[in-house]
Amino acid sequence: MFKRTFLTGLSIGLVVAAAIAAAAITYERYDTKTLKRTIRRDAVLCGVNRGLPGFSTPDDKGNWSGFDVDFCRAVAAAIFDDPNKVKFVPLDASERFKELQSRKVDILSRNSTWSMSRETNYDLYFPAVAYYDGEGFMVPASRKIDSGLELDGSKVCVQNGTTTQLNLADYFRANNMKYQEVKFDKLDDVVNAYKAGTCDTFTADISQLYALRQTFDKSGAVHVILPDVISKEPLAPVVRQRDDDWMMIVKWTLYAMINAEELGITSQNIDQALKSKKPDVMRLVGTEGAFGEDLGLSKDWAARIIRHVGNYGEVYDRNVGKLGIPRGLNQLWSAGGIQYAPPIR
Amino acid sequence: MIGLGRLPGWLALAGVLIVAAGFTAPGHAQQNDPGDEPGLIANDDYELPPELRKQMVFFRTSEPPGTIIVQTSERYLYLVQGNNRALRYGIGVGRDGFQWQGLLKISRKAEWPDWTPPPEMIQRQPYLPRFMAGGPGNPLGARAMYLGSTVYRIHGTNRPDTIGTAISSGCFRLVNADVMDLYDRVPVGTKVVVRQKPEL
Repeated sequence: MFKRTFLTGLSIGLVVAAAIAAAAITYERYDTKTLKRTIRRDAVLCGVNRGLPGFSTPDDKGNWSGFDVDFCRAVAAAIFDDPNKVKFVPLDASERFKELQSRKVDILSRNSTWSMSRETNYDLYFPAVAYYDGEGFMVPASRKIDSGLELDGSKVCVQNGTTTQLNLADYFRANNMKYQEVKFDKLDDVVNAYKAGTCDTFTADISQLYALRQTFDKSGAVHVILPDVISKEPLAPVVRQRDDDWMMIVKWTLYAMINAEELGITSQNIDQALKSKKPDVMRLVGTEGAFGEDLGLSKDWAARIIRHVGNYGEVYDRNVGKLGIPRGLNQLWSAGGIQYAPPIR
Repeated sequence: MIGLGRLPGWLALAGVLIVAAGFTAPGHAQQNDPGDEPGLIANDDYELPPELRKQMVFFRTSEPPGTIIVQTSERYLYLVQGNNRALRYGIGVGRDGFQWQGLLKISRKAEWPDWTPPPEMIQRQPYLPRFMAGGPGNPLGARAMYLGSTVYRIHGTNRPDTIGTAISSGCFRLVNADVMDLYDRVPVGTKVVVRQKPEL
């Protein structure tokens, strides 16, 4: 009798304990209250790169600027009507996804390439591509070539053990060209070898090539970066899976900025746009419909973003455009690139 | 505004009068056009900022190679090369109220073109000469490509510092080295697509 009661009690206890544990795990993995916590905290928690020219850099007073930084400011503008309500958390590449999972940050806006395994392995979600990067080539302007297909027989400087090196091999093989690899473990050594004339060309991600060129050829007259893009490096903000409300805010913040550029709405003419009678302009700025309210925000959510931070093109020009990086793939789909946002309707 | 030191005396006087008129009665009809300085010899040593220099860029389009696409709000002219690339030139474009869009063809090409400002331009800027022979002091610069039967042209300039700005009367200006380069690449009959920022 005693034994049976004890066993029953034990099993009830175990079931309860298991249920609590399961609930705790569910809570840990399937957090759905990010917006609520953000509002209570009065700030967006944004994980950024410690320092990457054009994308994320702090000044000596700790003010952050850059393309990735502005994206988090846009989310803050949409929620709070104040682009300064962001807490920037500098993160290293190695731990960034775990730190997002463990809620050290709520958005990772840190030049992270969207790939399938990063979504599946870490239970994360990349809502939309903010910046299409890709591998390219730098060559001395004196060579007078303007296509990667003219690089047959080149000595190519490349960083060892990177996907850059693998893409390079694929590109030359696919185009029936030969090359001689000059590889180094450190990027600095790759750059120095190229500068010393050890190689005919130097390959890295295009945004990196432009940022590096700034350091040794400020006017861009001596070295050119070819227009060819030989790999896919779609950089995107990242959020945790299963908080769809938060994911939607992040996704539509980016799309609002891209749509604003396509419709010709800027931080300079936003007041004029608020008086517009064009239906697609009215839906975006919130003078028709209540699309922002369906996101859990206000009707004028997108107008706030545009007023405080600007449209996609303004943010691009102010940050990466300053490095001399042409819009390229990141131009609107209607103007030579592939940036394309679904309509707000 | 015009740097008066760089102008011939009669023009400086006219410029002052026009500027004065501009202050009392603003509007297109009275507006000074700081982009036209007939007689000023182009400074060929002027260096464009890197983003406005001629360069090959990634450019996706369904227009065939050889087409010119002008994206006014960007201040760029693209010559489509195929294979997702285009030669991009920095340009100066029409000021507000003097911008237009559409499809035209190059109807005529001229080296060191003469300049006969159209009547509507004379009306707005009465200080302009009625005719000016081609040469280094001519605001049309080293080359001109005439667009259809309109008054608009793609041309050079004697004011390279105005590339990247919106001050013309609707023409597209390139620095002389660039317009000469473009001139040699495009025949009469070339399709020219002009795009504008959408209106609100």
